[in-house]
Amino acid sequence: MNYVEQIRKGKNKILALGSHPAIVQSILDFDFLSGKSSTSVIGLITGNRKAEKYFFGQSEVLIPCYPNINAVPAEIKRRVNWMLNLRSGRRAFESTVTFFEAFPQALGGHIFAENVPERHATELIRRFGSKYLIAGPSGVGLLVPGSLKLGAIGGIDIRQISASKLSTPGSLAVVSTSGGMTSELIRAVADAGKRVSFAMAIGGDRFPVASLTDILNLAETDKNTKALVYFGELGGVDEYEIVEMIKSKKFTKPVVAYIAGVIDEAFKEHVQFGHAKALVAQKDESARAKREALRAVGAIAAETFPEFLEKIAKLPERRETSRNVKLYDINKLMNRTRSILSTREITAPEKSPVFVKGKKLLAKGDSVFVKSILEALIGKPVKSKTTNAFAESVFTLLIDHGGHVSGAVNTMITARAGKDLVSSLASGLLTIGPRFGGAVNAAAKVWLNGVSGNPPSPRLRKGSPLFESSPQAARYWMEEKKAAEMVEAKTKAGELVPGIGHLKYRVGLPDPRVEALSGFAALLKKHPYYDFAREVEKVTTAKNGKLILNIDGVIAALFLDILIECEGFSKNELREFIDAELFNAFFVIPRSVGFIAHFIEQKKNDEGLFRLPEELLFVRKKRVK
Amino acid sequence: MSRVKLTEYRAKKLLLGAAYRGISIKSGLPFVAFLPAVALAKAGAKKGRFVVKVDQGVKKRMKKGLVLLDQSPRAIPLAVSKLKKKGFSRFLAEPLLHHKEEDEQYVSFERVREGIRFMHAKAGGIDIESHPEAVETFILRSDSDIKTAAKKTKLPESFLKHTLEVFENNFFAFLEINPLVIANGKTYPLDAAALVDSAGAFFIKNAWTENDIVEKTGNSRAEKNIDELAKTSPASFKLTVLNPNGSLFFLLSGGGGSIVIADEAELRGVGKEIGNYGEYSGGPTREETYLYAKEVIELLLKSKAKRKALVLAGGVANFTDVKQTFMGIIDTLAETTERLRKAGVKVFVRRGGPNEQEGLALMKTFLKKEKLLGTVYGSDVVITKAVDDAIKFVKK
Repeated sequence: MNYVEQIRKGKNKILALGSHPAIVQSILDFDFLSGKSSTSVIGLITGNRKAEKYFFGQSEVLIPCYPNINAVPAEIKRRVNWMLNLRSGRRAFESTVTFFEAFPQALGGHIFAENVPERHATELIRRFGSKYLIAGPSGVGLLVPGSLKLGAIGGIDIRQISASKLSTPGSLAVVSTSGGMTSELIRAVADAGKRVSFAMAIGGDRFPVASLTDILNLAETDKNTKALVYFGELGGVDEYEIVEMIKSKKFTKPVVAYIAGVIDEAFKEHVQFGHAKALVAQKDESARAKREALRAVGAIAAETFPEFLEKIAKLPERRETSRNVKLYDINKLMNRTRSILSTREITAPEKSPVFVKGKKLLAKGDSVFVKSILEALIGKPVKSKTTNAFAESVFTLLIDHGGHVSGAVNTMITARAGKDLVSSLASGLLTIGPRFGGAVNAAAKVWLNGVSGNPPSPRLRKGSPLFESSPQAARYWMEEKKAAEMVEAKTKAGELVPGIGHLKYRVGLPDPRVEALSGFAALLKKHPYYDFAREVEKVTTAKNGKLILNIDGVIAALFLDILIECEGFSKNELREFIDAELFNAFFVIPRSVGFIAHFIEQKKNDEGLFRLPEELLFVRKKRVK
Repeated sequence: MSRVKLTEYRAKKLLLGAAYRGISIKSGLPFVAFLPAVALAKAGAKKGRFVVKVDQGVKKRMKKGLVLLDQSPRAIPLAVSKLKKKGFSRFLAEPLLHHKEEDEQYVSFERVREGIRFMHAKAGGIDIESHPEAVETFILRSDSDIKTAAKKTKLPESFLKHTLEVFENNFFAFLEINPLVIANGKTYPLDAAALVDSAGAFFIKNAWTENDIVEKTGNSRAEKNIDELAKTSPASFKLTVLNPNGSLFFLLSGGGGSIVIADEAELRGVGKEIGNYGEYSGGPTREETYLYAKEVIELLLKSKAKRKALVLAGGVANFTDVKQTFMGIIDTLAETTERLRKAGVKVFVRRGGPNEQEGLALMKTFLKKEKLLGTVYGSDVVITKAVDDAIKFVKK
């Protein structure tokens, strides 16, 4: 089985040496359009970051990066069978040698660099020429439609990949000395309604590892290939390899060729054209001479480029139809937008645990760790399991709310700027304040001020028989009014009520975390602060369904109730705690864990320094001079 | 990236080391007339006779009269100024070696795919292209290859070994010593021509530098400007002026595509009308493209042809961003619209690649607005279409 057939049958997995985002993305687009379930590029060797983000279809994937080949984990190493060498000409030799020493079982690769010294190129030929299929140095690589795109070959623009039908295998081998013309020819074959069996760019350098003879052998032995489409240029004697092979019957399939460079005849002296090889040194290196030599052995060497295209259109065609190539809306892929940050996914709040069922505590409330934290915070032994269980539940719920929130964003950005754990954590923590995470303490203050004296017993609540005649009930009524007044006062001052309101949840769509914590009220004899908070909620939701009691509000209210009933604190002591911001500690402690988790996540996938996408709203105009 | 000419002086210095007595003379240096005499005095060669020759990789120097034999040390400055008058700037003075003509041989070494191709002829000073039958060819890959070649050619094995070592270590691509004099088992290279691989410069330490590379001669100002631009950019730029009064001027992109387009003009019989060949590729920036286009458009404006067209064409680019590069070209066109309109110039476009639609749309709108529009095509149309239209236009 020759290389091309092996490529069609096998799983092709690429390790890229160096990074060239446009080329890597084009390979992933090719993979996606070819209906592959995973990307063929499975790792990049590139310093100072641990992952690069790419699109695979419309969704994004992180391709892991390693500082050197030795750092590639065995699990990835096992699967790699192609090298995509994107290093500069200076490093191409040494990196190629290192690759094949580490991956002796690989099938081959592509060396992208121009400017590889001739001495290095010939040494690569000596060491690897007969063992592997290597496209380059220089050129755009190797393409087997539907199976492998190793390099820029066929284009890097998704529209071009789609228009050139790179996902459907066919029967014409395309071989070219020019990288640009390789893609032009692949496109021309598609436009002629035909498909490519495989394509390879030899490159304009003097010593490509896979020679034209090697490639012709591939085309000859590949069963799917029915004919050869060849683009050559003046200079060099490569085309005489084709002539020799046809003469000696080593190549028997039809050849349609265009040898560019008759323009050289318009010059007084021979001219060095775009490629290093494109200079006529001897008479038989002219475009005209090479065309004649090809014609003499029966190949078609077109006189003009349009004639070349006409001849291509007349070549035999056998398109593979068995393959399931899905049709995708290219516009959708064109309009995909990059995510701003990649981050850890956290359990959806909808899956909140239940802590209390009826009057029974489901959470155990015996965590020594939580108990120690609480005792450190309140300065005396914790008496009740309820207190402990409540703290444990709050900690559990508040560890992380995902990567969207401002504190987590700051942590991640600081981590990506290369800063350490403490700096990154501090950056997140310093974001906590009135608008982010700092509302627990503020809510506690409002609730504390809202409830004066002792609450009425349940017998005296609104609607109960004793309600009308009881002074306690009257006071309760006052408190209800107080809730309304407080909301009114806040509204008038243009302030928000802390602990109230949610962006997503609303009346009829309760926040499951609030529900879960509210269960603790049932464990208490009295819960005036919780009641007051709910009264406030009644007032606010009457205005807007989104203004429900939120997680900050419910934590503040129930913690006040629990500290009084279960731990015996006085109202004055609670006021001291509020002044000391104890209630915010309930957010800071678990969220520090969340921030650290984000920090670790960013370091693991280190994608390098973060920068916002270019699209920003400029609210300050440039000063006009 | 390419093979460049190394001065004979440096080639010999690398081959012979401290034993080499030649002096490199570059005009333009102060006291140029005194330098060789001073240096020769230092070298302890006051009395001998010298050869003075042009050292700029010129072929067939002897025939062209660029080698002055048997000069006294004092006559060297005069010899140099004689050669200088012929338009040269680098010279070499060496002690003259008296020898018999039958001691002259021919050797050359060239890096080829299989190894080093070593060619040898028993008679020196010949033109091997016209006497291929006199030449014996070997491929040298290993020590045993060298042994065999030494035996067959009767050249000292140590000479072959040493020459190959210098060749390899210094990233030579080609070395011709013609003639090589062999007397009493010793070798003396009389004339040497060497090409080195410019990509090797990074790997050698001061063996040869940019200063030892022979500059191209006879370039126009525009061509020189583009060479400078190419040197300072990772992208590729080439420009050759063909007919300064041509009617077709090319702003082409892509090494292969550009030749196809130029071919089309030659094949349609208007090869003589082509003002320039050139190409840009490898993803130049907007600013670089602006600078490149400026040179071409200036050439076009200077041409005295009656009807002139600008062909802005190329294949389907792999990397080069069509929008970015077209914006650079528009920047140039915008500076010269008035002059272009007066000269009746029309612009013909065919291009494909990244951001093709945006780039073509920009260009079309601009050309239409400025009344310079010929035709604009994308990658769905054959690569030669724009040049065909331009030919029709100038032939009208």
